[in-house]
Amino acid sequence: MELLQEIFAPELRNSVYVSLLIGFVCPLIGSFLVLRRLVFLGVALPQISSCGIAFAFALHAWHLVPHLEDSSERALAFGGSFAFTLGALVILTLLQRRYPGLSEARIGTAYALCGAWSILLLVKNPYGQHGLLERLRGEIIAISDLDLTVTAIAFAAVVLVATIFRKEFLLVSFDPEMALTLRKKVLSWDGLLFLLIGITVSMAVLTVGPLVTFGFLLIPPLVARALARNMTQFVVLGCVVGVVGAFGGFCLAYRLDVPVGPTDVALLGAVYIIIVSVRGGLRLFRPRARV
Amino acid sequence: MSETSILELRGVAVGYDRHAVLSGLDFSITRGSFTGLLGANGSGKTTLLKTIAGIQRPLTGEIVFHPPAALGYVPQRDQLDSVFIFTAFEVALMGVCGRVGPGRRIGSAERDEVHECLRRTGSDGLAKRLFSELSGGQKQRVLIARALAAQADFLLLDEPTAGIDAAATRSIMELLTALYREQRLTILMVNHDLAAMRNTVSEVLWLHEGVLLRGPVGELLRREKIEELLKIQFT
Repeated sequence: MELLQEIFAPELRNSVYVSLLIGFVCPLIGSFLVLRRLVFLGVALPQISSCGIAFAFALHAWHLVPHLEDSSERALAFGGSFAFTLGALVILTLLQRRYPGLSEARIGTAYALCGAWSILLLVKNPYGQHGLLERLRGEIIAISDLDLTVTAIAFAAVVLVATIFRKEFLLVSFDPEMALTLRKKVLSWDGLLFLLIGITVSMAVLTVGPLVTFGFLLIPPLVARALARNMTQFVVLGCVVGVVGAFGGFCLAYRLDVPVGPTDVALLGAVYIIIVSVRGGLRLFRPRARV
Repeated sequence: MSETSILELRGVAVGYDRHAVLSGLDFSITRGSFTGLLGANGSGKTTLLKTIAGIQRPLTGEIVFHPPAALGYVPQRDQLDSVFIFTAFEVALMGVCGRVGPGRRIGSAERDEVHECLRRTGSDGLAKRLFSELSGGQKQRVLIARALAAQADFLLLDEPTAGIDAAATRSIMELLTALYREQRLTILMVNHDLAAMRNTVSEVLWLHEGVLLRGPVGELLRREKIEELLKIQFT
């Protein structure tokens, strides 16, 4: 009870709220990455998004953008992050359609390149080094009211669109050919879904950094996939695991005095390993069907 | 063009990346016919079927449907990913998505209709089971139910009996024959199985060495004709 009072104190509660938002929305969107077997993309996109933030800060160093107030600086960082994320999604998807065999290699290359570019952009940019490190470490402990409001509005829009058009997103993800025969505009629906993924990844990376974003995008849906018996359970369980993991991670990190983001991911990872191990163990002891 | 044709191809070439697999295709499909599309691996059967279904565009020429023609496409079942946790009912329900607008919920009338389609294909008992856990023949029945749920009058099937055992193959072919006869559907089916084709279809399109041969089943699937085309001798 005392712990709850402390973490919901005015100076910390915004961080708790934003953690819960990310714990809810990232798994909702990440479930599509898992279903479309784009897990590697889920790893690479936060890194690409970070590179976009580094690029946005580098614009200061190159004197292409004047020094900005904090809110404008955040908008600039979001713009860089979103442009890089959406651009990478579009390019990687088009290449995937044209040359499907080398998909993983391309995503791996994008991940490595963006990691390298982030460091190079950072090392020559003292101003960006300061700003970027703050962002990339994940400012879960210092979230302003404005940051929380902007994140909440963006995520509410993402949840609304993802819920309203769930039927269409599932159809074009499961059987795009059938969708075409039903006169569905598969490219447009894919584009809208990628837009949602782009907004979610950009907002999350800007707020909590790439590591935590990756963790929440993929681990809760993987836990849910191991437990669910239908698609509704899959999505709901993913969101529940994300929210509970975010809250549990926050409490644990506060109690142990360690960084919140890595604690969240470590906790989710432990849950996933336990679930997969228990399932594997149960399978071993299940009697085999007679042929 | 025949007055009773449902589909007409005029100078069509099909293929990928501007590379034509088949070209100069001129033929029509008669409304209410059951046509088999035969050919060796890589002959372009599936490419032609997908082009007719509107999944890919013809490289040249035009494909004309004479209305009303609602398509029901039945893909190769292995291309549907088992990572999706859909029940058989949910898969069949996708058939109604073409007439339920974006963002609108699927109503109880459509759900009842999908149950009826599952019943007509003998798969209503599978409705609550996971699609990924069904056998090949069971999946095929559910996919046919999905095509019927699209209120199709023209079914396009891509190798519906590939990789399933003889009993299930016979059962699927009996189901298709019943649908063809009782519901007056037009069916175009890609298949490798000559025996299954001979007992089921009325017309045959045979893609042979880049040329489209066409004829009634009794003519094109005669033993002597097959021996001549495949340059083999049946013992």
